Amino acid sequence: MGKQSDVVKTESNTSRKIGYALLYLILGIIAVFQVYPLIWLVKFSLKSNREVFSESPFALPTEPRWENYTTAWTQGNIGLYFFNSVWITVVAVVLTVLFASLVTFAITRMNWKFNKLTLGLFMIGLMIPIHSTLIPLFSFFLSINLIDNPIAIILTYTAFNLPLTIMILLGFYYTLPREIEEAAVIDGCSINRIFFQITLPMTMPVISTTAIINMIYNWNEFVFINTFIRSDHYRTLTVGIQSFIGQYATDWGAIGATLVISILPILIAFFFLSNKIVEGIAAGAVKG
Amino acid sequence: MIKKLFSLILVLTLVGLGGCGPADDPDATDPTPGTDGEVVDESTISFTHLWPAGSSAQHNRIVESIISEYEEANPGVTIDVDVLSNDQYKETMTILASSRQLPDVGLTWAAGYMTPFVNGNMFASLDDVIEDGLGEEFIPGTVEAFSVNETAYGLPLELNIAPIYYNKNIFAEYDLEVPETYDEFLNVVQTLEENGVTPITVGNREPWTGSMWYMYLADRIGGPELLTNAIERTDTFEDEALVQAAEEIQNLVDMNAFVRGFNGLGNEEAKGPFMNEQAAMYMMGTWELPNYTTNEDVPQEFRDSIGFFKFPMVEGGAGDIDSFVGGPGVGLFVSEDSPVQEQAKDFVQFFVERWGETSVTDAGVIPATVVNTDEVDLPDMYIDILDELAGASNITLYADVQMTASVAQTHLDLIQSLFGKHITPEEFAKRHEEALAAEE
Amino acid sequence: MNKVMSNKLIITLYVLPALLLIMVLIYVPIVLTGYYGLMRWDGVGEMTFIGLDNYIRLLSDNQFWRSSFHSLLLAIFSTISLIGYLIISLILATKIKGANFLRKIYLIPMLLSSVAIAQLWLKIYHPTNGLLNSLLFTIGFNNAPAWLADRSLVLFSIFIAIIWQYAGFYILIYYAALKNIPESIIEAAKIDGATPIQIAYKIKFPLILGVFKVTIILAIVGSLKYFDLIWIMTGGGPAGASEVIASYMYKQAFSSYNFGYGSAVGFYLLLFCLIATWLIRKLTTSKEEIQY
Repeated sequence: MGKQSDVVKTESNTSRKIGYALLYLILGIIAVFQVYPLIWLVKFSLKSNREVFSESPFALPTEPRWENYTTAWTQGNIGLYFFNSVWITVVAVVLTVLFASLVTFAITRMNWKFNKLTLGLFMIGLMIPIHSTLIPLFSFFLSINLIDNPIAIILTYTAFNLPLTIMILLGFYYTLPREIEEAAVIDGCSINRIFFQITLPMTMPVISTTAIINMIYNWNEFVFINTFIRSDHYRTLTVGIQSFIGQYATDWGAIGATLVISILPILIAFFFLSNKIVEGIAAGAVKG
Repeated sequence: MIKKLFSLILVLTLVGLGGCGPADDPDATDPTPGTDGEVVDESTISFTHLWPAGSSAQHNRIVESIISEYEEANPGVTIDVDVLSNDQYKETMTILASSRQLPDVGLTWAAGYMTPFVNGNMFASLDDVIEDGLGEEFIPGTVEAFSVNETAYGLPLELNIAPIYYNKNIFAEYDLEVPETYDEFLNVVQTLEENGVTPITVGNREPWTGSMWYMYLADRIGGPELLTNAIERTDTFEDEALVQAAEEIQNLVDMNAFVRGFNGLGNEEAKGPFMNEQAAMYMMGTWELPNYTTNEDVPQEFRDSIGFFKFPMVEGGAGDIDSFVGGPGVGLFVSEDSPVQEQAKDFVQFFVERWGETSVTDAGVIPATVVNTDEVDLPDMYIDILDELAGASNITLYADVQMTASVAQTHLDLIQSLFGKHITPEEFAKRHEEALAAEE
Repeated sequence: MNKVMSNKLIITLYVLPALLLIMVLIYVPIVLTGYYGLMRWDGVGEMTFIGLDNYIRLLSDNQFWRSSFHSLLLAIFSTISLIGYLIISLILATKIKGANFLRKIYLIPMLLSSVAIAQLWLKIYHPTNGLLNSLLFTIGFNNAPAWLADRSLVLFSIFIAIIWQYAGFYILIYYAALKNIPESIIEAAKIDGATPIQIAYKIKFPLILGVFKVTIILAIVGSLKYFDLIWIMTGGGPAGASEVIASYMYKQAFSSYNFGYGSAVGFYLLLFCLIATWLIRKLTTSKEEIQY
């Protein structure tokens, strides 16, 4: 900190100030662009269908329709969907991050012949459009009796997020210093201990990053859940949102309200996890 | 064969996975009751529809009450309902059908949509249900739309026609009369345009809406049979009348008849200007009627200010003002693979009858079965529409429904191009011919 | 040391669960997609084997190539926009006041589902009362375009929405990577009198180059198979002007019931992704690097 102020003193003070003012102006404008959708969504959720398509879509609702929230909460099974969304997301995220970390560790830290080939196999996994997979996967899950079973969803989410997660982890593992792990090997640590007690904590920032990304993807996913789950029992919030889109009419206010309800937990989880990105560094630094 | 082999390999690999995976046991079978119709002693009929309570509360309620009535009348029979949203319905049906997992009873659209399912032997023939006396209750022509080679595979639930709704207040403000001829209609359009009112709103991002305008022009210029014959290849899209209809569309576009940016607006968005009294006319199926009659969310004054008229006559054209574009919407099918097919047929018969009695009063749906207007209490606009239906000389099924799925896709793209003036009327005709020829 | 790190059993244990999962759930569908591409199949009825017909027919399918070109354009745009995301992340990762708060704000769009984002942008681009055109009207620009109805503008209008949608994703990754750089290196550079721009360009960027390369591949592959906003906002229209490979594939498979043909499109898409990835890795691998 002290160093920074030293630098400031040595340079022309006014031009720095103008520079900073400009910088903040630009950053502020971008911030408005990025935060506006949330505000818009809340306004949207309080409108009637008529207002949604009325003169100015960005105006405040004339009379806030809180009943959109009652509709959203009471129609269908939003409570149950909510619970399903939470646990399916959590389980899939934990599995994905754990598996991906194991693979990345094996590829970057261990010596074996096929590591590049294996990496290539995972990378190709990024490239398939999901709509190509629906019919084959449905008939597969049907053949092993997993249709309408949340395990099918969790396995699918894990498999489809693994390539992306591994790719992101990979970039970080390459830049991470190996000295600590090497020292641990010399000390006679087992690989399992190295991985779980040294590498995993050290990669906490990137694990948080991938966890956030995975969480958001799983939370908002609806193509797979809609295809593999047939009973209301295991459906998630995204299906709830879809249920307001009708054959001839769509209840936009209720969709807005469901969207607001569904974004709250993820917003909270996100703020919590995103602090971990910084905390993780600190933890890693202490260990180092 | 190969599919089976793949599945086997998959099972083996997944069993292997169970050993190294986490605590979850992937081999556990699904314990939820009543998801699959494998147990038949207490017969369970699975039924999938597309009216979620969220968007279609009234439809949903009618379905629920019909089901509970049926279950009461037939002890031992359970109807297991699965509701899909409209957006996902078609895709999910395809995926289910690819594994021969269709529900016992479900909803299908007519003609082009259902053909692959019929050809794939997925739907059961419903001729016996119709011969069982139900046949007379249907409005002529509706069951035919759900028939392939004279065998019915679906029982229609709705019948819609597409009139032009108009705002009486706007018309009155500019001293406009309901047009009876196409020239009068053009005059209305021009007057409105000159006064800065959007004459017509259409959401041509969903080109089936624009297709209806083209279809009416084709009907009024070339007569009721021409377009259908062209689709069936006994006539051609390059017929002068059909080309002229396409020209008229572009003429309307040149007159600024349609709302700004129509090719980028969805139907729901396009409805906005009409509901907010910024646009004077809107052509849409009669499923819109609740918005102009019973829907309490729409202000009373607005509902009162809306009327409808029939697409005007074109002078010298072969058409007739009582000919409509429209058709049955969804219908019920029974799966050929259903282990409870007989019971399912009994259920659809019951469903159609009860639906016919209640849907118009409770949900504002015009059913495909005859409604006795003397017995039910309906808003005037409904009575008028039902009278028009009764007096209709012809109903031409929506072009994109008549066509096979892949030609329909081409047709819809071409409609967008035509409205957007990316192609000439002649090319429009030629490309239709090419697409139809490729199917043969 | 090498012996411990070459333990075959451990390697197998670490890699196998993930590998099995993707083999079964991703590779089998990939193989089947290629296989369905050899069929005439509506997805519902019987399949007929037609050899390479679909694949050959696609080579002369104008709409397919047009869609591919649009996807390629999107890939180029997304890759260029990575530089913008990187600059923002570099600024946020310095210790300027409020960086932590701003960072969280910047990530908000990525939390929203595509349904919500599409609705928002549809309202921004609305031809008469959209946010954009309302602004243009107020500054006296009376002939504002109908963004999503105009064939020459629709693609770029959607690109902007997509680039906005993904800002959070890449900023999140870059930020984490930048925070991973040991503080000591930067302090040392500051003592040597390096300006913040020099630090960013000469020290921070090279240190996160590995991550940057990964994001290039993610951006390109992600763009080539992009579907969501395009499907909801325009459905590929008007008249194919915003059609991309994935939406074309979807239309063929699920709207036109040409499931075989659609599968062939999906298979080509996979090939394009492979070629693009291979090219990128060729282009970005420098001589002194060993890891890549």
